[in-house]
Amino acid sequence: MTNIIDLNIREKVYKKKKTQLSILNNFKLEVNAGEKIAIVGESGVGKSSLLNIVGLLDTDYSGEYTLFGSLTANLHASELAQWRNQKVGFVLQESVLINSLTIEENIKLPLFYVGSGKKTFKLEDFENVINAIEIKPILKKKPLECSGGEKARAVFARGIIMKPQIILSDEPTASLDVENRKRIVNLLFKMNEEFNTTIITVTHDLEVANRHDKVIHLERSK
Amino acid sequence: MKIFKFFITKIFLRKMIFSIGMFLLFFMANYTIFTTARLILSTFQGYQEIKIMDQEGTYIANLDPDSNIDMDAIVENGTQKVYDYLNNNFKYAFYTDGFIASLPNNDDMEISFSYMNEEYYKLNQFELSQGTDLNFDYQFNKDKEIPILVGKGLSKTYPVGSTIKIEVPVLEQSMTLKVQGVLKQNAYHSNFYALNSKTYYNFSVFLPVNQEFIEHANIDLQLNGLMDIVILQTTKEKVANLSEIMQDNLGLKFNFFSQKENYDYFNEYYLHSLKIMSIITLILIVIITCLSVWNALVSIRLILKDFTINLLVGLSYSKLKKIFYSYFGILFFINLIVIFLITAYSRYGNWLRKDATFVTYGFFALIGMDWFALLVVFLSDIIIGMIIIEIMLRKIKKIPISLGVLQ
Repeated sequence: MTNIIDLNIREKVYKKKKTQLSILNNFKLEVNAGEKIAIVGESGVGKSSLLNIVGLLDTDYSGEYTLFGSLTANLHASELAQWRNQKVGFVLQESVLINSLTIEENIKLPLFYVGSGKKTFKLEDFENVINAIEIKPILKKKPLECSGGEKARAVFARGIIMKPQIILSDEPTASLDVENRKRIVNLLFKMNEEFNTTIITVTHDLEVANRHDKVIHLERSK
Repeated sequence: MKIFKFFITKIFLRKMIFSIGMFLLFFMANYTIFTTARLILSTFQGYQEIKIMDQEGTYIANLDPDSNIDMDAIVENGTQKVYDYLNNNFKYAFYTDGFIASLPNNDDMEISFSYMNEEYYKLNQFELSQGTDLNFDYQFNKDKEIPILVGKGLSKTYPVGSTIKIEVPVLEQSMTLKVQGVLKQNAYHSNFYALNSKTYYNFSVFLPVNQEFIEHANIDLQLNGLMDIVILQTTKEKVANLSEIMQDNLGLKFNFFSQKENYDYFNEYYLHSLKIMSIITLILIVIITCLSVWNALVSIRLILKDFTINLLVGLSYSKLKKIFYSYFGILFFINLIVIFLITAYSRYGNWLRKDATFVTYGFFALIGMDWFALLVVFLSDIIIGMIIIEIMLRKIKKIPISLGVLQ
């Protein structure tokens, strides 16, 4: 198996006026392609912060991060943005949609940022995604007109529309009922099975966590 | 372009505070800068114009504010006596305008006659676009034609060489006037005591007056001519005597001020208020800019989730910066267009109202000072825009774009 994530964080510090909080001290993460990793731990230990770093949203930490063989510190901000667009997909809670856009526009949002000559997108890919996720009837609706489950599926669709090699999933089922929770988790694993997509999930749900290949318990730094 | 269009239509325009709010604030800032820039430039032009009077021994008449004009008490004989005294003892620049005459023209404007003597004409050095300068040594009632200059607006109806037979308002007799030259477009005269205020000569007739002309003119011309008469190469004592002669013959007290005294007056009253106005404008601009920054930051809070989602799926800060600059550029451009339209309409309104003394010719109706003020607005927009956008971006970057912000 190929090692696609090689992360070595010495320290991540949050500063707030006179106080500062240090998390993820001497944290190491190695992930192979197609691997499913669950990250659990109590609130405030740095689960979401870890996803921010892995997902190239946060570069303000001490340590080294090699993604797909490239040292991310050497990548320009526009390259990081391009990688977020094409290599990494975010599956978040159902509220993470732009309310002024329709569900279809929300799902197609990553397509705006596909640069010329880069990864191409076919209309049938979109059709395949919406059929698989069963959200065709709500495409023209605005998020506020949809149920929690429908919105969660829309967020999921947006996260996978570019067929990313890594899906970062942050509490995707936190506010969903049992049926919709099952549905989203199944969709996530289906991506892994069909496309060998690497899955990293932050969750409080141990049942969901135990379905992953590896469960990492984050603990508060001493 | 696609991303920019998306941000404009789907995000920015959906937030009233970021579209209408920003537009109104920018409009307030732009209009304030525009009017102040125009006022300052116009005053500067007046200042330059009035400089010609700034010579040793030059005194300008000014009717004492406490004098009551009783027209019935003033007789033509009295004014003529004053002119006789002037002719015998002084060199003086005579000018009076605003005498409306019915002179048919293509634009159907009421035509204003301006009368000036040779000294005044020499002092002002009016620029001509066609023809030759006025000559003042014609013989009244003997020469068949009196040479005149016309404004650009009259040059089509009355080109150089053409003659006009008209009852001259101040002579109450019919005369033949011959067009000798055409004044340069937008030739103007500034008010001595309100330098930003201008009278434009595009629909004026300049009629040269000499001693003989004044003798034959009615009391209106004679009296009006004394109001701002400029005495040249004289002394304070001599003009004091003149003031007494005027008091004796007209019953009006005239003060004579040197240009230095006029400047002091200008500095004390007008320049001072101009300074206050400029400071108030500057304060207003700072306040409006602060309000715009505040408005932008409030907008950012409202749109932060939308920005963050876009950053998640591939937007970069550099692209966001370009989007902001383009958006603000469009807002400023629309503002400039609105100010341009308001100004053009105001200039054109003078034509509609047939307001001959304010009618001007310009590029798309705007004259030089308007374009200059628009340029100042444009430059200040660049500065205001950069301040707001850089503060906005700094604020956005300060808020960690993370999943936490979204959830």
